[in-house]
Amino acid sequence: MAFAPRGPEASFFQVLDQHRASLLAALRKGGREPAGGGTHLATSSEVLAAIENVIQDIITSLARNEAPAFTIDNRSSWENIKFEDSVGLHMVSHCTTRKIKSDSPKSVKTFALILKILSMIYKLVQSNTYATKRDIYYTDSQLFGNQTVVDNIINDISCMLKVPRRSLHILSTSKGLIAGNLRYIEEDGTKVNCACATAVAVPSNIQGIQNLITDAKFLLIVEKDATFQRLLDDSFCTKMSPCIMVTGKGVPDLNTRLLVKKLWDTFHVPIFTLVDADPHGIEIMCIYKYGSMAMSFEAHNLTVPAIRWLGLLPSDIKRLNIPKGTLIPLTKQDQMKLDSILKRPYITCQPFWRKEMEIMADSKMKAEIQALTFLSSDYLSRVYLPNKLKFGGWI
Amino acid sequence: MEGTAVAVCEILKYLIIHWRCETARISKGALLEGELVISIEALNSKHQANTLHCVTTIASAGSIFGGLVLKKFLKEIQSILPGLSAELSWTSEETSYSQDVSGVTPFQMIFEAHEKPRTLMTDSLVIKNFLHKVITVLPKIRFNFSVKVNGILSMEIFGAENEPTLNLSNGIALVVNHQHYVSTPKFGTTELLCSRIHPVLGHPVMLFIPDDVAKMGLLGELILTPAAALCPCPNVFSNQLNRISSASIFLYGPSGLPLILLNPEQPTSTTFKDTSYFINWKKYHLCMVPNLDLNFDRGVHTLLTTHLSAILTESHSVVQDSIQVAVDQALEQHHQAVKAHQKLQASLSVAVNSIMSIMTGSTSSSFRKTCLQTLQAADTQEFGTKLHKSFHEITQNRFLHHCSREVKQQLLPEKKNAEQSTEDAHENSSLELLAGTSGQVENKSLKRGSLCQGVEETRAFRSPRALNPSEATLGRAEPTAAPLTPSRNRTGPRSGLEDALWLQEISNLSEWLSPGSAS
Repeated sequence: MAFAPRGPEASFFQVLDQHRASLLAALRKGGREPAGGGTHLATSSEVLAAIENVIQDIITSLARNEAPAFTIDNRSSWENIKFEDSVGLHMVSHCTTRKIKSDSPKSVKTFALILKILSMIYKLVQSNTYATKRDIYYTDSQLFGNQTVVDNIINDISCMLKVPRRSLHILSTSKGLIAGNLRYIEEDGTKVNCACATAVAVPSNIQGIQNLITDAKFLLIVEKDATFQRLLDDSFCTKMSPCIMVTGKGVPDLNTRLLVKKLWDTFHVPIFTLVDADPHGIEIMCIYKYGSMAMSFEAHNLTVPAIRWLGLLPSDIKRLNIPKGTLIPLTKQDQMKLDSILKRPYITCQPFWRKEMEIMADSKMKAEIQALTFLSSDYLSRVYLPNKLKFGGWI
Repeated sequence: MEGTAVAVCEILKYLIIHWRCETARISKGALLEGELVISIEALNSKHQANTLHCVTTIASAGSIFGGLVLKKFLKEIQSILPGLSAELSWTSEETSYSQDVSGVTPFQMIFEAHEKPRTLMTDSLVIKNFLHKVITVLPKIRFNFSVKVNGILSMEIFGAENEPTLNLSNGIALVVNHQHYVSTPKFGTTELLCSRIHPVLGHPVMLFIPDDVAKMGLLGELILTPAAALCPCPNVFSNQLNRISSASIFLYGPSGLPLILLNPEQPTSTTFKDTSYFINWKKYHLCMVPNLDLNFDRGVHTLLTTHLSAILTESHSVVQDSIQVAVDQALEQHHQAVKAHQKLQASLSVAVNSIMSIMTGSTSSSFRKTCLQTLQAADTQEFGTKLHKSFHEITQNRFLHHCSREVKQQLLPEKKNAEQSTEDAHENSSLELLAGTSGQVENKSLKRGSLCQGVEETRAFRSPRALNPSEATLGRAEPTAAPLTPSRNRTGPRSGLEDALWLQEISNLSEWLSPGSAS
């Protein structure tokens, strides 16, 4: 399949191809990744029935003169999360729960809001329409108070019903961007070609994407939009074609993660991250690779443990003689975050990552990707990334 | 002078003070426990027209007056009651009472008097008032009070032994059943579920004893412990009218006997002259119309009572501050309860509407049918009503549980006093019948004089607007009841409590007024 213009010669991608082969071999060896352990794609009728069951339970409690309550998994508790190399962070099967009671002054409002959002979901599914979390919030912003309340309740409902958010017909607002060697057709039939000068927004309904087509040799996840735009301006996708670039503009939203996961599941294209050499960047990378605590109940649908760290590595700072004046001292919060990441279960099976973080901790300095511009304005796209990709400079 | 009531009250006071002292010697802080029987038997006098010959008996059901020295007792009682035209005597086991009595025999005392029927009715009222006040803070004392007039018997038992109480210090416990303070109103269809008040204790404050009072022999530490409560329980009525219709102050001495302030005209009485001092009006968005009609009674039975005014003057600001803090805390409780209740109601409304939305929007007939059957509703409308009612009942139970658990931390085990409940129920029904006669109260004022030693309440204010008829129910304490205009002043010397008690007695003692009785 031809996507013009072509990038480097085929030999350029030799190491990449070998890497892909090893990833495929690892997949075959370890068996296919378990399909959606926490949640599963549910049909509309299944979702409606699940909600009706919830309502029936409430009414049955009332008929017995008992106060109804929701039993919610403690999604954000480390005791309920385990790490598996093949999946990342995901919820344990028998996790601790908490009760949202209808007769407690502390929790009655949450109880009511859960029912409110359930009723809204019910209508969305029945009418086969979709809404974003933001839409939900603005239906009655005074009642909900703030967006975070809505977000948490939607996640709790998803976890409680064991149904992914997209099956609830609630879409997250996408903020991510894609560029490069990728085509697909959206649910409404819109044909999308990401190989254009400007990037394409990550679609809201990843599940509905059809006819994904790419022959990308790699997918580069870029932490920051500024870096992404710089690479676009430098025609990186063209020079390194065939490839795909994605940015979540910082902490990725659900759709961006779903897209990355979908591309991996569909094409097994090697995925690399380009993040700042600071604790925040490392954490963002870990979200793509191993998942987040908040969304651990959907880990099987979101994580890509095969992701590799391409740059900016703390060891690159010294290796490339990046001027010390461009470096920034780690703040107290950086130190705390770094210590926290080092204690996480997945770092133990990543000795090279650990070593890089220890270099950062020892130097007490961090660096943004933009520090490379002090070497030359296009050092990132012209030298750094091509060399890294050609010679396997990832960990 | 109304002798029987004075005699009974003074004798009881003496006995209780003695009893307290003896008990404190053995076990400091122990509650007085025992039963006293007071009976008045009245027959038409054979020698005087329109007069009853009354024989009053005061007896203890058990051996509770250990160490009581008869001669000393009789001497002191007769010094307090010089005008009483009666004879005091023991009727049984007199020989057991000697100077060295160690006190294991029951006590009984009888005296006689001649009284007009109306006077006897008044006496009965006064005695009941006094007994009620005593058991409010000495709940384990039980009084069996009976009045028999020409063969017609009326009996009442005063006691709070098995009721929840709040333990204070030195053998004093405050009963917390609201029925001791107000009658049970009914607001629309809402019935009272929490039967308690929830007193907030203030910090004890030391009262300074003026030198001249100390010279008279009143020595030692005198500590005032304020307690404030809203009555009835505000949690249940937080969706009801949010106002205070009256404020009452009950003042008790160390013996657990009610105290009164001697002279309302003295500057000392400003401490309790206007109870509005104790309420933070602005903070709780309250307004008031003061009613400064005071009714302080006279009566002296201890040195403390005689000089109480001077003591309170000495510690005026301290007393005021202490009570203000307790009152503020009680009002704050109510304020928080109102907010919590409003939040709860709003949330339940959202919950009900959401369930209704799903139920009515469902295309699954089996789901809808199951919902209707579970709540035994015939149609969607009835389902909605029952759904709302079910949520409401569950939250009410929760509030009740919360109230009882909150009080349990300081309480004795709760047990209902069935007799007291029956008595209160009877009283309440009687009071409801008389709701329409509240305007006639002023025509039936009691003669106070030295009789009514138990009434210390002051009516500080009333709410500016009249209550609706369903609330016009008189109670023991100041009513949420009488529909008064703000500028109304009471002309008689009686307090609202006495009005209520009087009306109650009118209904209870109606048999006395039948032809052939002493009139």
